[in-house]
Amino acid sequence: MGTGNDSILDAFLYETNGLLEQLDSIVLAAEQEDTFSDDDINTIFRIMHTIKGSSAMMEYDSLMTIAHRAEDLFSIIRDKSISVVPESLRPELFDLLFQTIDFFRQEIECIENDQPLIENIDTLLQKINSFIQQISAPAGAPAPEAAAAPAAAAETAAAAPEAPAPAATPGFPYSLLVFFDEGCGMENLRAFMLTTSIREICGEEDFTFVPAEVEHDPSTAAQIVESGFLLSFRNKADRDNAIHIVTGAGSVRTYQTSDQPEAAAPAPSAPAPAPAAAPAPAPAAAAAPAAAPSAPAPAPAPAAAPAAHAAPAHKPETTTTHHKESLISVNLSKLDQLAAVVGEIVITESMVTASPDLNGLKLDAFTKSARQLRKLTDELQDVSMSLRMVPVSATFQKMNRIVRDMCKKLNKQARLVLVGEDTEVDKTIVDSIGDPIMHIVRNSMDHGIEENVQDRIAAGKDPVGEIILSARHTGSEVIIEVKDDGQGVNYDAVLNKATRQGLAMPGVDYTHKDILNFLLAPGFSTNTEVTEFSGRGVGMDVVKQNVENVGGTVTITSEPGQGMTTTLKIPLTMAIMDGMEVSVGKSIFTIPIHNIRQSFKISADDLVHDASGGELFKCMGNFYPVLRMQELYHIEGGCSEVQDGILIWLEAGETSYCLFVDELLGEQQVVVKPLPSFLNSFNIKRSGIAGCTILGDGNISIILDVSNLYSHAQ
Amino acid sequence: MEENRVLAEDQDSVVPDTDQTSTTEKYLLFLSDGLLFGASASYIVEIITNHPITTLPLVPSYIHGIINLRGQLIPIVDIRQLLGQSPGSCDCIVILNINDTMVGILVDTVQKMIDVPIKSILPSPNQEQQTLVSGMCSLAEGQTMLVFDCAQLLCQS
Repeated sequence: MGTGNDSILDAFLYETNGLLEQLDSIVLAAEQEDTFSDDDINTIFRIMHTIKGSSAMMEYDSLMTIAHRAEDLFSIIRDKSISVVPESLRPELFDLLFQTIDFFRQEIECIENDQPLIENIDTLLQKINSFIQQISAPAGAPAPEAAAAPAAAAETAAAAPEAPAPAATPGFPYSLLVFFDEGCGMENLRAFMLTTSIREICGEEDFTFVPAEVEHDPSTAAQIVESGFLLSFRNKADRDNAIHIVTGAGSVRTYQTSDQPEAAAPAPSAPAPAPAAAPAPAPAAAAAPAAAPSAPAPAPAPAAAPAAHAAPAHKPETTTTHHKESLISVNLSKLDQLAAVVGEIVITESMVTASPDLNGLKLDAFTKSARQLRKLTDELQDVSMSLRMVPVSATFQKMNRIVRDMCKKLNKQARLVLVGEDTEVDKTIVDSIGDPIMHIVRNSMDHGIEENVQDRIAAGKDPVGEIILSARHTGSEVIIEVKDDGQGVNYDAVLNKATRQGLAMPGVDYTHKDILNFLLAPGFSTNTEVTEFSGRGVGMDVVKQNVENVGGTVTITSEPGQGMTTTLKIPLTMAIMDGMEVSVGKSIFTIPIHNIRQSFKISADDLVHDASGGELFKCMGNFYPVLRMQELYHIEGGCSEVQDGILIWLEAGETSYCLFVDELLGEQQVVVKPLPSFLNSFNIKRSGIAGCTILGDGNISIILDVSNLYSHAQ
Repeated sequence: MEENRVLAEDQDSVVPDTDQTSTTEKYLLFLSDGLLFGASASYIVEIITNHPITTLPLVPSYIHGIINLRGQLIPIVDIRQLLGQSPGSCDCIVILNINDTMVGILVDTVQKMIDVPIKSILPSPNQEQQTLVSGMCSLAEGQTMLVFDCAQLLCQS
């Protein structure tokens, strides 16, 4: 499909995705207001134009065609202001735009996955076309008069480069307007070279071009920059051949074709370039302000209208968008590579400074330099980590759309409030929380917000439901909360369902917290029927799993009648962390520092035994279960007497317990390395191993996952 | 074209082992519990000895542990256990790259590299314990090489 190489394709995807996100947020905001501001219209027009241009370059025809028509649509709206779209048609316009955005997304996804594009675009195209007709039909009426009216002067000026062209070239109805790259220079000579190439495929008498003096008159360059280089052909076939030459030529930014319809053919006899004499009703109609809605006239050919003046009108805008940016986009793999190298440096640094060769030596200068090196590597590490940090806003913004769509489909009223969008987290984490958040928001919309507005009013709540999506930092974690003010979890219904599914034992009393945890169990979905948005069997357990994959935890709290809150706690970054090295027998384990609350040196008397033989330890007024690492992992050697080892009080999310190990070796910053993929099939993640790290002496230490370790022990 | 094909067929039927270069494959010979195995050289990355191995808890006993090979973590498989041989201590590790997955196998000793004509490799009689052996081949010195099926190693789990 794409003729360009991968880097061009990457750039295209990156740019288009960015534009679509921008588009989405503009349309969403505009829908709230139920109108478009002038800025919005200009921006949308520009986005459509860019998508059109770049997809044409990449030869994605379906994208180009749709973007082109959408651009046409917006050029009409831009010229006549949003009032051209009557209030009654506005929802249709918004829906149409969302459909267009969805279509683009779909196509982009196909491109990303290397699948063939969806070529069947007729339905959408038809919709856009009929919409254009709807809004242009009444407004197009005053076209002939308005064109002559002074009020139209400003607009016709934009169309002016077009107007004289067809007039000056009677008998050459098929025209091709070429624009060169901005700042490429020597536009006149480039144009002349085009004409020589074209001369090779069709006779000199079969085409003509404006400006004519390109070969000898350098001043025509400015004219070409301003209004393009217009080629007019006698035959359509010649024009089509010429398009091939133009697209093959260097530095051509874009080109426009326009056909003078047969009906308009007699009109060009008037040689004057006056706007009134503009042969086709097209440019004039587009130029006509909605000022004089009086005389009836035939609807203009919508295709020719925007196409004809889109390009010149576009010019001033492109120049304004090219402001300098202090941002660059970097391939993520390069950042990964950087992080890996920095990780190695951190390890090597501690290898050098903690080398056993130095034992017993007193090296003042060395110690000083080593300290300096340590400081610098820490800084380097911080910088390289911060490179990977991106704000969650993009992920959050997508939820706006989901809430909007679901409001329409489910006929509920709700608004989404975003808090702390600019919170930054690691790029890999942002990517992996998108789906979980989406799922939770859908759940809140589907199950949380009341079906019936009356119920909300009766409960004394705002008839419009509210979903608050918030993100905030707490030291080493980012906390993402999805909070709705809906009906909350129906504990009885959940328990019944859990019992039916065999998750809960009938007759056992469960706490509310236990019941909420059923929601996170695999295959659990409270909705009795499968809807489009949720209840497809994949439920919160997938959310839980995704979040746990990035080292986070999910908790649900709910107050009946007040709504439900889902909280995701996710470590800021997974690549480097502070860990406590502990030893058990000959093995060394790393426990994340943020999971450790306290450590105790205790005697056997401090342990309390429960009925099933389990050991408990009391601290701060609570009893906590004691797990012995040695027994848990069947490690040979190591302490079995309580007084010889040390007890570490750990906490992760909802779980809190004490772990018995031999010795604390010390705190260290470690680089987390995933376990070899070969080992993933043994499910060792479930048994409490999060990954491993390479210690200063080259040995491997296993990083423990505190919450999984506990569930493994149960 | 047609002629060439016929010629090639003739050669095959008359003189089987003339074109050595295109029909042989390099194999690394190693011993495991007294048996001689050969692993295709295309999988072999390197051979290391005396490397400290970190044991992993809660994995099948044939996963001996992981090693840190210049910053890369590589799992080590004890093929004696997989092949149902008697356990023994060995400290020679052959690092294999199997479809971009790095795995090390513990062997007793590594002998040498040899060229084996592909045609001389015969399928092994199918037996329970022999899933890692894809074929057998008689060598010059009267020895028999068991062809170690590296790709099958990943499927064991």
